[in-house]
Amino acid sequence: MATIDFKGTCIELNEEGFLVDPGIWNEELALVLAKHEEGLEELTEEHWAVIKYIRSYFEEKQSAPMVRAVCKGSGIRLQQIYDLFPSGPAKGACKLAGLPKPDGCV
Amino acid sequence: MSELDELEVKLKALTEAEIESGLDVFKSKLREAEVSYLNSCVHCGLCANSCHYNRAMPELENVPARKLEHIVSVFKSKFTTIGRIAPGLVGARPFNREMIRAWVDAVFGRCSLCGRCSINCTIGIPMPSLFRAARASLASMGLVPSDLQATVDNSLKYGNNMAIEKEEWVETVEWIEEELQAEVEDTEARLPLDKVGAKYLFTVNPREAKFFPLSLQASAKVFWAAKEDWTMASDAGWDLTNYGIFNCNDDQAGAIISNLTNAMERLKCKVLVIGECGHGYQSARWMGPEWLKKHFPYPVISFLELMYEYLEQGRLNVDPNKNTQLVTLHDPCNLVRHGGILEPQRRILRRVVNNFAEMTPYGHENYCCGGGGGQLSMGKYKSRRLKAGSVKASQISSSKAKIVATPCHNCVDQLMELNKEYSLKIQIKTVAELVANAIV
Repeated sequence: MATIDFKGTCIELNEEGFLVDPGIWNEELALVLAKHEEGLEELTEEHWAVIKYIRSYFEEKQSAPMVRAVCKGSGIRLQQIYDLFPSGPAKGACKLAGLPKPDGCV
Repeated sequence: MSELDELEVKLKALTEAEIESGLDVFKSKLREAEVSYLNSCVHCGLCANSCHYNRAMPELENVPARKLEHIVSVFKSKFTTIGRIAPGLVGARPFNREMIRAWVDAVFGRCSLCGRCSINCTIGIPMPSLFRAARASLASMGLVPSDLQATVDNSLKYGNNMAIEKEEWVETVEWIEEELQAEVEDTEARLPLDKVGAKYLFTVNPREAKFFPLSLQASAKVFWAAKEDWTMASDAGWDLTNYGIFNCNDDQAGAIISNLTNAMERLKCKVLVIGECGHGYQSARWMGPEWLKKHFPYPVISFLELMYEYLEQGRLNVDPNKNTQLVTLHDPCNLVRHGGILEPQRRILRRVVNNFAEMTPYGHENYCCGGGGGQLSMGKYKSRRLKAGSVKASQISSSKAKIVATPCHNCVDQLMELNKEYSLKIQIKTVAELVANAIV
């Protein structure tokens, strides 16, 4: 299991780089994950719109939203989501929003 | 709790009776011919170089014959007289916790059931069938890695492997219909749901609905251009995946495939079309009738066959100059080596792109991308999966292609990860995406 250093604390990531404990997520941690997992040095307003929508959906329903809902809820177009997160909506955006890895062919 | 702990906790809790019954399940999955194959390995070593795990990470435990040996030694110890009387003489070993750990590691942790070792075996030992029998035994003891099992459980509970609710699926289909109408400038373009009596029932991978709907839009565009009579189910029966083929619990696999057969009966369609997917095709076309012990009274075809038919019949106007970059093709093991669909995808690509090059080797001898056999969903083995994928990554680099087409969403996802891991700088597309792009 991998760990990343966050303000002097060891944060546990699972084998695929997702937070072991989704509950500890916060925006500063998202920035660290962005750099560590997606190679993104900074997060733009568009990144945040996507991440915050996914996070609030997850906190309410304990699951990842459909990309349809992400587009509607964040106001970001589909192609732009793929451009913003190189690993895609699941292994990119959901991971930075601190969600567990979705099941299925992802 | 980490996956490693998870296995140890489960192993500790196993009773002797459960282990005994696990062995019975193993034996029950073997046909006579397979039993004889358990005794036929001549240790020639040819399989070693055929396996992408062993090519990427040469070590004894990655050699297919070694993986088989763990299984054979248990079979001898339990089910042969000489193995019971003089185990040391024939290499018979007991099915204890240490051996069960070795089985889990060999058949879940170091094998994608791709079958390349089998076609390169001097004897023709059907390794995937034997490894599947071992997985079935482990499944009966509750030892399927939890993330793989969760994917099966989603299908059993929700009718699709990503736990998508009906409203979410329907809303996505309606959205993609609007997008398609805008793309082709035709308000009559449809993604029809529940059209009773339609000729074709089309099925998709839930990851298209959940995260990657452009591939669904591309398939729908092909149907639109061909003016086809088609539909999809709004309830269970739209998802073509079946992870029961990977956890090897045949009862669960049968329950999942019933979603498709029930939808065919409910909607009275004439042909079941499996969208671009390796294991989905293998499940519906070849394994489904075995699991359900019944004949499917309608053809089950791959969407590739249908797209090729449209091109042959002149129902699609395509311009290969719409796809000018060099394209290569990755062959999904379940579709090609196991499924027998080899030519349609190549014939399609030669018509819709103007620059196509095969990988070396390709077709029946292709290397697995590394994501098959349920590997993509078993997080515990991610590092091995990506290393094993280095064989495919180097094939892709050698091809010089800028686009890798593959008719399988599972392969798409693994190739996306290989793209990142090995800095391949490629685009990965389904075949329908390239066809749709070439439609004029």
